[in-house]
Amino acid sequence: MRAALSILKKDLRMEFRSKDSILSMWIFSLLIFVIFNFTFEVSRLVMLEIAPGLLWVAFIFSGMFGLNHAFAVEKENGNLRSMALMPVDGGQVYLGKFMSVTLIMLLFESLIFPIFIIFYDLQLSFQMFLLIPVILAGTIGFTSLGTILSAVAVHTRDQQILLSLLLWPLVSPIIIWSVNLTGMVIGGDITQGFYPLLTRVIAFDVIFFAVSFMLFEFILED
Amino acid sequence: MLLPALELTKVSKDFGRIIALRNIDLTIQSGEFVSILGRNGAGKTTLLNIISGVSKPSSGLVELYGGDPADTENKSKLAVISHEVFLYNNLTATENLEYYASIYGVKDAEQRIKDVLQSVELMHRRFDLVGTFSRGMTQRLTIARALLHEPSLLLLDEPFTGLDQLAIGILISLLRKQKELGRTILLTTHDLHTAKELSQRYLILEKHRILHDGLMADTNPDEIRQKYFSSDRSGE
Amino acid sequence: MRALTDKILLIVLLFAFMTSIFLIFNWVPPIKASNLSEQVAQKIFYFHVPSAWLGFLAFFIVFVASVAYLWKRKRQYELIAVASAEIGVLFISLVLITGPIWAKPVWGIWWTWDARLTSSLILWLIYIAYLMLRRYLPDGSKRANLSAVVGIIGFIDVPIVYYSIRWWETQHPKAVMASGDGSLAGPMFFTFMFSLATFTLLYVYFLRKRYQLLVLEDTVNKQFKEMEIL
Ligand SMILES: Nc1ncnc2c1ncn2[C@@H]1O[C@H](COP(=O)(O)OP(=O)(O)O)[C@@H](O)[C@H]1O
Ligand SMILES: [Mg+2]
Repeated sequence: MRAALSILKKDLRMEFRSKDSILSMWIFSLLIFVIFNFTFEVSRLVMLEIAPGLLWVAFIFSGMFGLNHAFAVEKENGNLRSMALMPVDGGQVYLGKFMSVTLIMLLFESLIFPIFIIFYDLQLSFQMFLLIPVILAGTIGFTSLGTILSAVAVHTRDQQILLSLLLWPLVSPIIIWSVNLTGMVIGGDITQGFYPLLTRVIAFDVIFFAVSFMLFEFILED
Repeated sequence: MLLPALELTKVSKDFGRIIALRNIDLTIQSGEFVSILGRNGAGKTTLLNIISGVSKPSSGLVELYGGDPADTENKSKLAVISHEVFLYNNLTATENLEYYASIYGVKDAEQRIKDVLQSVELMHRRFDLVGTFSRGMTQRLTIARALLHEPSLLLLDEPFTGLDQLAIGILISLLRKQKELGRTILLTTHDLHTAKELSQRYLILEKHRILHDGLMADTNPDEIRQKYFSSDRSGE
Repeated sequence: MRALTDKILLIVLLFAFMTSIFLIFNWVPPIKASNLSEQVAQKIFYFHVPSAWLGFLAFFIVFVASVAYLWKRKRQYELIAVASAEIGVLFISLVLITGPIWAKPVWGIWWTWDARLTSSLILWLIYIAYLMLRRYLPDGSKRANLSAVVGIIGFIDVPIVYYSIRWWETQHPKAVMASGDGSLAGPMFFTFMFSLATFTLLYVYFLRKRYQLLVLEDTVNKQFKEMEIL
């Protein structure tokens, strides 16, 4: 755990050193909403129906941004090999990177969400708090797979494209469910299906995390 | 008899269909300083990677202090210096060392960091980002990084390549000190004179095998060059 | 010995395919459908479903071989995994091609974002990514490790993908075998099982051949290299 926290601390330090990237990410997600608004000229009612999907598209883009970054800095000066040399388990390295990627993605999401509320003129109700576990569960699913696949993709020339190729199909179930859950909360119809579905997302988060935790060792090794 | 620091038995390594090492048998005692010489592509780097546990051999056995090189305990005894500096450009010199100190569980880290920074003459730049360093400075910092946790086994993969005179001087004197401290050191280099100056023993690696294993005292750089690296032997 | 096995396998395969085709087009009675094109289209079922099953089998083998590789680090497991992934993609491609051919006359559309169709497409994409990854990496133990990791995660994801879209409304015909409501009557059932067995044999044959070819490539390369060394 100590090693994982050291990695987390180092990552956050570097990430917040260049606040530019956080700012540009925020503006980028703003652009996503604007562009979607131009390209789909639809009534407010339809807009509300696709809003959960839009929100997750913005989230995913911000997540990809962090993931592409996460191991690019590790490759820079051979640090990936350095991680293989460290007297720590591969799982610890994974945990550290997972935490930093997740925290940064959650930060982006908390910046994106207010724009979303304003643009789609959503009513803030008490029920909206249910979005917190939904977003947390969806994000963790995305980053737990994303972290290990980013470490895979970074070994290739076109790491950004390859990360998308690998990650999107694999993470699609989690995203589909998250969009659905988000829709239920925003639409104000928390049906019986809500909690079982949320539990299911969490269950798969756990599976993805555990498997990646165990397999990460092999990614560091030559 | 003392347990050797390092023992390789019939180690081979392939990269898919590329052959990197063939049937390497090698024993190195604690406190030895061994130079590994050979042409590009001979397998020197691969050999060091296998010793450090980063690479797994395709066949054969590697024992570091009687155990698996990948054991956590062994890894904490080890340091690598190569052309890859293992530093983050977006962190300062001190932050980089703090990170490594915490990973390696260095005791009294603050003092230790000051010490190593002093030994590579970088105290005055300790709060600057590594990204702003010159090549030579970065290399000096990576020497500090490697010595931070006082490793008992040092693997140096062509550490002099790309260094300026100052850095070369610092590295050589630090290596001498490490040798006096009884550390085991493996060095790959093309600089036969430095190899002769520093090491007692040398290996010639050619075509993925150990061609020769001898004592530096019995030879001199010109003889080695003549025997193993003259152009009429080049089969590249 | 190996060559003999392959020859026998090939001959059996030829007869099996000819028999399958006879069974499918001449022997099994056509379904009661409103028009001829639907009756003809239904025949695709005997190719479509076995292809899907074998896709799964192939990806399962990728999974098993990947685990075995990380455990033992033997080149042969890496090669089996790749060979099986390639064949799996081939079979799922067949599923994605035969599906629309059936759908057009019956549903009137080539494609719809239906649960079964979407999940098959996602499955296909997962293993395309696996093969793409391998193309990007140089041969070596790094590539073997990375692709084994993806091979394992990929297969764990397969049931999740299917599960995730199951609650979608599906137009796709029910998994007839599973429903057991007698909709697959005697001759149909027999023909289907025969076709499935034939496809399985085809998979085995492909896997053997592809694997042998990969090993051969290695051998040639190694001998070439050894010659250089000596
Ligand atoms: N990661 C790798 N993947 C594929 N081939 C490699 C890899 N590392 C080294 N090789 C090959 O192994 C052989 C030995 O390389 P190396 O150990 O780097 O030699 P040296 O350090 O003596 O120059 C070379 O033919 C090289 O191309
Ligand atoms: Mg080298």
